[in-house]
Amino acid sequence: MFLNTREGLALALPAAIFALLLFLVPVGILLSEAFQTDTGWSLRGYVDFFSKPLNQTVFFRTLKLGVLVAGTAAVIGYAAAFCIVNLNPSARGRVFGLVVLPLMISPVARTYAWIVILGRTGIVNDTITGLGLSETPIRLLFTETAVFLGLLQLFMPLMIISLVSAMENIPRDVIPAARVLGANWLQVFFKVILPLTKEGLVVGGTLVFTGALTAYITPAILGGSKVLMLETLLYQRVNVANDFVSASVIAMILIVMSFSANLLLKHIATARK
Amino acid sequence: MKSTLSIAVIACAVAGTAMAEDKTLTISVYSFAQDAYKEALYDPFEELCGCDLVIETGNSVERMAKIEANADDPVIDMAVISSHDALSLSRKDLIAPLDLSQLSNHAKLYPAAQDPIGGNMAVGYTFYASSIVYRTDLVEIGSWADLLGEKVAGRVSLPNITGTQGPLTLMMLAKASGNDTGDYSSVISDIGKHADDIVTFYSRSSELAQLMNQEEVIAAPVGRFAWSRFKSSPLPFAWAEPAEGQAGGMNVMIMTKGNGNEELAYQFMNYWLSTEVQTRVAEALIDSPANTEVVVSQEVADNLTYGAELINSLNILDPAEIIDNREAWVEQWNTEVIK
Amino acid sequence: MKNLSTWIILGLTLTFLIGPFIIIILAGASAGESLAFPPDGLSLKWYLKVFTIESFRDSFMLSMFLAIFGTLAALLLGIPAAYALNRYNLPGDETIRTIVAAPIIVPGIIVGLALLRYLVVPLDFTVTMALFMAHTALVLPYAVRVVSSSLNNLRADMEEAAVLLGCTRFQAFVKVVLPNIRGGVLAAFILGFVTSFNQVPVSLFLSGPGVKTLPIDMLAYMEITYDPSVAALSALLAFMSLAIVFVAERLLGFSRYV
Repeated sequence: MFLNTREGLALALPAAIFALLLFLVPVGILLSEAFQTDTGWSLRGYVDFFSKPLNQTVFFRTLKLGVLVAGTAAVIGYAAAFCIVNLNPSARGRVFGLVVLPLMISPVARTYAWIVILGRTGIVNDTITGLGLSETPIRLLFTETAVFLGLLQLFMPLMIISLVSAMENIPRDVIPAARVLGANWLQVFFKVILPLTKEGLVVGGTLVFTGALTAYITPAILGGSKVLMLETLLYQRVNVANDFVSASVIAMILIVMSFSANLLLKHIATARK
Repeated sequence: MKSTLSIAVIACAVAGTAMAEDKTLTISVYSFAQDAYKEALYDPFEELCGCDLVIETGNSVERMAKIEANADDPVIDMAVISSHDALSLSRKDLIAPLDLSQLSNHAKLYPAAQDPIGGNMAVGYTFYASSIVYRTDLVEIGSWADLLGEKVAGRVSLPNITGTQGPLTLMMLAKASGNDTGDYSSVISDIGKHADDIVTFYSRSSELAQLMNQEEVIAAPVGRFAWSRFKSSPLPFAWAEPAEGQAGGMNVMIMTKGNGNEELAYQFMNYWLSTEVQTRVAEALIDSPANTEVVVSQEVADNLTYGAELINSLNILDPAEIIDNREAWVEQWNTEVIK
Repeated sequence: MKNLSTWIILGLTLTFLIGPFIIIILAGASAGESLAFPPDGLSLKWYLKVFTIESFRDSFMLSMFLAIFGTLAALLLGIPAAYALNRYNLPGDETIRTIVAAPIIVPGIIVGLALLRYLVVPLDFTVTMALFMAHTALVLPYAVRVVSSSLNNLRADMEEAAVLLGCTRFQAFVKVVLPNIRGGVLAAFILGFVTSFNQVPVSLFLSGPGVKTLPIDMLAYMEITYDPSVAALSALLAFMSLAIVFVAERLLGFSRYV
């Protein structure tokens, strides 16, 4: 540890000042906009926003889809991460590479594919009607299901990556030992794996939840105006109605939601001993 | 690779500043058919004026928002938008009245296009009919009321209320239900009752074309300007001639206030309204002419909104009515239709 | 048996994750006029058409410029900051850490809107400048985090030794520290490049006449038509990203740093 504080600050401050002036200040002003009215500071922007049924629906839908996407990603992520960790090293590297791959691809491309996949004549509907699960094709596009699938595909890699690196830190013999001592797989998961990987879950959960809240393209293309989410609503309020108060309110909601998700997950992780 | 790239980027930046010193006209237009416009309008004009055109594209709502955001120092010199959007900009004092002495081709326009929003704040450059595109092999459309009927339930799309086509659809649905009060709240409630039967409320005709081509949607109201997307499809699409008639609208040219580039903008507007350009644009099947002197073949005419008889038969919604009521419509729409 | 279930789970997961990408590649190779899967016959015409679309060329250059120089700027700010946060006992270092990490927490669409409203409009910043700063800020947290973690693995006594042997602190940094963290720096660069290049929400509000990032331009193109050229372009871009990552992985074992 070096002691010359002035030198250290000279190195660290340019980055901090840049982020503060060109980033946090404009964002801060934007957030404060909803509190300003002609008569001074007030919460009216928030009251007005939440008094509209559409805005309430969009808020709860965003929350619901965020939780569902993060939850599903965690369930699948645990299964996939567990499999990946138990592969032999060369296969593990290759499979891990395939998991990371979608992150390198533009979200425009990834979302675009779903229009074709989920269409009436797309693969999913062909399979459903082919298997006789339904006589007529099911309407999937512009439903919450479509947005859910799109978001899950977009963000699941983040969960798997977080869980894989967490699981790599589990000592090799712990799970076989627990099995030998008579624990079933459910007990192994809740008593051994979960406690040892909770940090990975917190990181992955926050990344996926926040990602799902703030994605724009997926709800815009797969949800359209029938399945608005906060991010598409924000864009619409600004571009259709020049309504910066609603934009500011939504911005605050999004930030608060991401922060609370992170805090909540951390809390759960530390509470469960 | 990286160094050549950065050189290229710097070269671009330099070229960009050099260009800005020459004569430049920045225009804001709808995003469709840009290649065809380039050939029929932009390239010949650039040659004529010895200037560069900078073209901003997008849907009218987004482009309007930008004109408003840059009101103090306009980036856009002239724009083409819908007549009601022009009226809205005019009420916000963002556009300048046109000096008709600068537009020698003005007198050649259909009367309805000459001063569509009053005060010479805009001139129309194209008309479009609006009707229903449908799959002839799957359904028969004879009335606007069919859009909410049993036979297209689950496979119909309507335009979003926030776009230009939305209010036109409201007007025609009202007409179909015998409602001539000009109050569309019962129509919106009706759409709300059928919301589950409607695949989506589309905002771009390109999106609608994709949905209809992948058989998601089999009927939807759309502007004639988008008809070529459907005509070229291998699927059997037809343009309905509903009992209530077709709706119609007009797109107009406007001049942003205080842009300092008026001379060039007038030159461009006048060129666009000329018989020569209006004919070329019509023959390329992009926009239907507003210039009465344009003569096209029957085949071309079939693709357009062409001729005095058709134009006079269109049901046109008063721009003021749209502007005055839109907020209430959107409010009701948000509560009853997409809640 | 256990092996079988492992491969079923992985197979299904990977199909879900990679399948859409394969569909995009094939949809782009369609001989038909509209986006469809399975494609109506195969042809490379849409892949070729991508190169003839002028606005894609401009927006590709802009996105490249932002991704390369924005990330370099973020590294210029981020490496010294990471070094200081690791090696010095700074007053308020937690605050600095939080400020520098903030851009990752604030939703991108808000950043774009805020910069448009409070930098571009009142202060006469050009849209390109605002994009450059937004992308720099966006990459900064990654730069600091990734460089920090490689600094963590490097013992401080190496620099101490260099200083004792007569180097200045700066020389010690350039000659001892930098060569040892270059893998981390490169990893940060690639991560930043990909993040910036694919960024949508930040750029959503930051576009002007002739100034659009590539992803925004792709969305704009989809307003005109949904023809398969966007699919073809997406596939080409994905291959470009993959090639970059692949080369980096071969050279440096990049995935260790992600």
